[in-house]
Amino acid sequence: MSLNSLFKKIMGKPASKDVAKQRLKFALLTDKLDVKKEMLKDLQKDLIEVISRYFEIDKESITIDIQRSEECSALVFNSPIISATHKRGVPAA
Amino acid sequence: MDGKVIVVTSGKGGVGKTTITASIGAALALQGKRVAVVDMDIGLRNLDVVMGLENRIVFNIVDIIQGRCKIKQAAIKDRRIENLYLIPASQSDDKNAIKPENMVWLCGKLRKEFDITLLDCPAGIEQGFRNSIVAADEAVVVCTPEVSAVRDADRIIGLLYAQSITPKLIVNRIVPRMVENGDMLSHEDVVEVLSIDLLGLIEMDEYVVVSTNTGTPLVMEPDSKAGKALQRIALRLDGHPDLPIENPMIQKTFWKKLSSKFSRKN
Repeated sequence: MSLNSLFKKIMGKPASKDVAKQRLKFALLTDKLDVKKEMLKDLQKDLIEVISRYFEIDKESITIDIQRSEECSALVFNSPIISATHKRGVPAA
Repeated sequence: MDGKVIVVTSGKGGVGKTTITASIGAALALQGKRVAVVDMDIGLRNLDVVMGLENRIVFNIVDIIQGRCKIKQAAIKDRRIENLYLIPASQSDDKNAIKPENMVWLCGKLRKEFDITLLDCPAGIEQGFRNSIVAADEAVVVCTPEVSAVRDADRIIGLLYAQSITPKLIVNRIVPRMVENGDMLSHEDVVEVLSIDLLGLIEMDEYVVVSTNTGTPLVMEPDSKAGKALQRIALRLDGHPDLPIENPMIQKTFWKKLSSKFSRKN
């Protein structure tokens, strides 16, 4: 480490390469989350299929979305439950 | 035995693909291989000037594919380096003049004639990129230690994986002083972000500008650090995969040594 970078450290400034790395990691993550609408539709279909084995859900008012913020990214799936289905035992294969 | 086709690609433009392709080609030919370098940047050719062969172009890759000439007629023989040939791009066509199936055919022919064929891929992920990777056996991804170049490299790596090619990375234009000061991503940072195997590290080198001015192969400049790094990269690509990768370092003066001693105590 040079005197120059030592000085910066004392001043409490983060190294610019650390800023670069952080931004890069975030950019790559959001790039990969930039999925096609069709993929989300397929995911929604599959999720409905699985959840319907356990709950009766309102298939029309389901929403699925990828939400991004500074700190994290999340897959948000919102499904109103009408009731638990009364199927007992192992769900159909 | 058939030769192999290696594509040199990057996503982002201006990171050194063409210089690296020309230099690796020259180094491999100097090591005794029969080498073809192919300019895939139809409409914006540059490999010819970097190699100093621009005055000798008669036919180009589109002529080969459209049947106007044989491969032997289009391949320009380098007079300084034995066994090095350039197949130039066409300057008047566009990327759509070549289709992926044409490249499969051409690379099949080139494998028979040459030990190694290097494809200099154009920037971007459109037709020119598709044409360049469709028939490649191996891929080299070039990036510089900058956010934009690394991000584009990540995209390219994903697209290569989708073609069942596992690429290797060259980090170009490293400035050791800036890395040491924490003002440039280190190659460790880049490798961590991209999770990919490293093929080589190239320091920022003014000889690149000079050798491009004159069209002299960089690997023939005895004092060029980049040239030396590229010779080692060429060895790693062909038969010596375990040759150690040298990390570009600052040439330390007395005062720098002293200052780094002081800062270590803190």
